[in-house]
Amino acid sequence: MATPQAASSLASKLPTRLRNFFARYPPQIYSTTVRPPITVPKPAALAQAAAGAGAPNATTTTTTTTTTTTTTSSTSSTTPITDAITESLLPSPYTPNREAKGYQPPDHKYSDALLWKGPKGQLNPFLPRKLGERKWEGPRIGLRRQAELVKLARQFGVEELLPPSRKSAEYKEARRAENQGLAVKGTGVGQKVKGHKWERTMEARLEDRRKAMLEMPEMVRLWKQRGHGRGWKQWPKK
Amino acid sequence: MAKKAKSRTITVRLISMAMTGFYRTMVRPRTHRPLSMLKYDPVVKKQVLFLEATKGGRNK
Repeated sequence: MATPQAASSLASKLPTRLRNFFARYPPQIYSTTVRPPITVPKPAALAQAAAGAGAPNATTTTTTTTTTTTTTSSTSSTTPITDAITESLLPSPYTPNREAKGYQPPDHKYSDALLWKGPKGQLNPFLPRKLGERKWEGPRIGLRRQAELVKLARQFGVEELLPPSRKSAEYKEARRAENQGLAVKGTGVGQKVKGHKWERTMEARLEDRRKAMLEMPEMVRLWKQRGHGRGWKQWPKK
Repeated sequence: MAKKAKSRTITVRLISMAMTGFYRTMVRPRTHRPLSMLKYDPVVKKQVLFLEATKGGRNK
């Protein structure tokens, strides 16, 4: 959508905050549109949604991602030395080769792959940066401001001109597709919200009460007939 | 040592027969017959029968 002519006309309509942002971080360098293609396959649920197929599929995201990582690990561990170490010399749990132990590179998830770090020398202002071994530098623009910018950009239809962010719609969608198990318990297909005990038993209790009230005139008549309780037999138990 | 004498009166619980869980607490002589009366139940907003709850079904 970002042809130069359209961009210039669009820029005049944008609020100052967005214009300042795009001046500081030009879309042609930082935005999602210029991000290199993502090699990690999409989660199954997301791919289905994109295809428009409504049929439920049992394959989860983890299966697809693990297949890719295993292929990469097999290619990297084909050197004869590592093969020899992993197969003959060392007991199976101990191996210096992380990939042979099932280590997955940090961007094995589709949602992680979406968060492009930016072109070389130009860091994505929405992402934190690792300094050395243990130190981290926070993002130039924090999560709260990111959320504000993303919402504003969405309002003006230019969300994809922003750099990849944890607050972007595509990232949130990918996360939701990946972490289906972490959704609110009971709200999934075929699940039931447990609720409080008083909520679960409410229907039965109201039904009891309704029945008791229907029988009440007859009960009172009997009670009066039997001398106001003198000949009464069915006392309730405590 | 002799046991403490039982009190002359006891506190009893009169349970609403509308099955609302509402009850009234009253005091009656120990030797009196079980209490029962028509009283107002605020849950169903009506006068209903209240019967004394027995402890282990002793009221006969």
